[in-house]
Amino acid sequence: MSARYGWEIRSNKGMKQETNNEVDLLLRRLGRRPETSIFDGNGDVEHLDADELSAYAENVVPAAARARYTEHLAECTRCRELIVQLSSSAGVVPFVETVKPLAPSALRKFLASLFTPMVLRYAVPALGLILVAAIGLFVLRQKKNEDASIAQNVETQKSTSITTTNSPQPEAQPSTAFDSPAENSAGKPGQSSVALANQPAAAAPNAPTIAGDTADASRGAAAKKEEAQPVVTEAPAPAPPKPATTSDESKRPAEAEARRETSQERLANEPRVQNTVDVAKAEDRKAAEVEIAKARSDAEAASKAQTFSGIASVKPGAASRSRAQRDDDAVEKDKNDDGETRTVAGRKFRKQGDSWIDTAYSSVRVTTNLTRGSEQYRALIADEPGIKTIADQLNGEVVVVWKGRAYRIR
Amino acid sequence: MESSSRQIQKVLNDGAQRLLVRASDSRSLAREQLAPRISAAVDKYLLRDDPQISEAEIAKFIDELQADDLCLIIACERGDENAWNDLVERFTATVRSAARSASSNEDAAEDLAQSIWAELYGLRTRKDGTPASKLAYYSGRGSLAGWLRAVVGQLAVDTFRKQSRLVQTEEDTDLDRLAHDASVGEVFAGIPNPEESMSNRFAQADMQQALNKAVQELAAEDRLLVKLYYFDDLRLREAGAVLGVHEATASRRLTRIQTDLRKRVTKILIDERGWTQTETEKSFAEVAQHLDIAQI
Repeated sequence: MSARYGWEIRSNKGMKQETNNEVDLLLRRLGRRPETSIFDGNGDVEHLDADELSAYAENVVPAAARARYTEHLAECTRCRELIVQLSSSAGVVPFVETVKPLAPSALRKFLASLFTPMVLRYAVPALGLILVAAIGLFVLRQKKNEDASIAQNVETQKSTSITTTNSPQPEAQPSTAFDSPAENSAGKPGQSSVALANQPAAAAPNAPTIAGDTADASRGAAAKKEEAQPVVTEAPAPAPPKPATTSDESKRPAEAEARRETSQERLANEPRVQNTVDVAKAEDRKAAEVEIAKARSDAEAASKAQTFSGIASVKPGAASRSRAQRDDDAVEKDKNDDGETRTVAGRKFRKQGDSWIDTAYSSVRVTTNLTRGSEQYRALIADEPGIKTIADQLNGEVVVVWKGRAYRIR
Repeated sequence: MESSSRQIQKVLNDGAQRLLVRASDSRSLAREQLAPRISAAVDKYLLRDDPQISEAEIAKFIDELQADDLCLIIACERGDENAWNDLVERFTATVRSAARSASSNEDAAEDLAQSIWAELYGLRTRKDGTPASKLAYYSGRGSLAGWLRAVVGQLAVDTFRKQSRLVQTEEDTDLDRLAHDASVGEVFAGIPNPEESMSNRFAQADMQQALNKAVQELAAEDRLLVKLYYFDDLRLREAGAVLGVHEATASRRLTRIQTDLRKRVTKILIDERGWTQTETEKSFAEVAQHLDIAQI
């Protein structure tokens, strides 16, 4: 079957070729005979000049003149010879006949329309502008949020007569500079806490003045440090704890008592300064604010010495708790703390002296005594990580009821 | 008439002004120095074929002239040394390569190139004593490089033709006779019957004459293609280049011409020689068969 078709196709093709082939052969034969040019030997004949020849070869002769030259070239072997030379060396790019392209599909048309010069010229820059505007807007909104939260902070602080600064200064230096006015007054126990609080508040918008105050301050740097450091440690707020502080604290336990009130004010300031440094975490700050306010009221309400010595006697390991955990604490406190209880890992603890006692605990239960860091303790927390969470978050002695058993962790 | 020539003059002047602006280096030429040259080009390429051509066409023509090349040449003509240096520097290679391709050996090429520069510089003088520089004939229509190649080619062809015409003609005649005899012999060779062969031979001659006539009747463009392809033995690509068309276009055109010629030949044979349609068909087939054999 296919063979038959093949034959048919071949024969058809052959026939067509033959039709032209006959003329082709005759023309070839005609061409082999020397052409007697009608212009040969005729001196009067007007050949194409160099200008016309080159223009013709470059295909730039106007149509009417071109027809005249073509007429001549068809008959004049001499000019044809020249024109052949020129057109082959001229590197003329012959125009390709426009082949009708296949009708493009709708998708192709659409895609092609995306890349038209018009689109590229106008739409692309417009898109770019929109993108830039969008990014700008986003950044602006972010900033506004920050501003809003900072404003909120300020408000809260004002209400609790606690001062703050908006300048995101590096931690160590600004805090020292900022602390100095407070410290000046901290040495004078007679001053009221309100007065203390107002002083930095007035100075806050004027940072250089504060620095000047610091320079003027007659106190030694050592004294400043002594005061600043314990303050930071004592704060149950998100101030980055300094490992050295606990030992500092233990060196001069007696000194603290008299200054508790005043340093409590600064304690409130301290974390806030650092919070403002940490601009990105507005949430953290809010939580911290509330916590600080609470801590302050705690301190003032409860008998000072007991409370603070309890918190101050934090172990070095506990002092380096992660910030996240502390934040959790803050939130938990915010929700549940009525002054005496805390909820950790879903369990409620009541403060009794230095101890946190699980509310589910009753003295009739058999209690296992453990010491933090001991072999037994490590074995327990390996099995029950929940206990570790509780023990880490609560300072001092913790009594926890876990899976029907009670543990006293010291 | 008066007003129209004035209008054309204005078009020429305006065009000259635009050309000077368009040129990257107008070589300090003034509009008045350009206008006569542009006018000559317009006469040559436009007004000669169509005296009523529109002013817009003239303006378009002027705007298509090679501004830089034309300014360079006119400046050279006016004796601008810098222009001359530029011309020599830019086109020495062009002239040399054109001379090489037109000459049989390196010495001849060097001679040819030298004489071209002499002609351009106008070492020869006219009868009235002014230098007969060929530069005056550059219109700016085509590129200067193309014009220089044409000048070289013309000089080479004319010199060669002058030298070899006599010898060539003699040889051609001899060869033609030999070729003709051979082809007739070939036609005879394939035909067993002498009577038939005799009539066939006449048929051959009739057909050849008819074909010759038919070719002459073709449009100039088609005739040129036939000449380029069958007489000058060019390939389709080369023939297409002369005509300014793509090889494929030239091929299609040639096929159409063959069909056209067949019709014309048939018509001539029937109308003028009293052949029948069948006879022409048969004759075509026979001639083709014999020529085919002859070619093998």
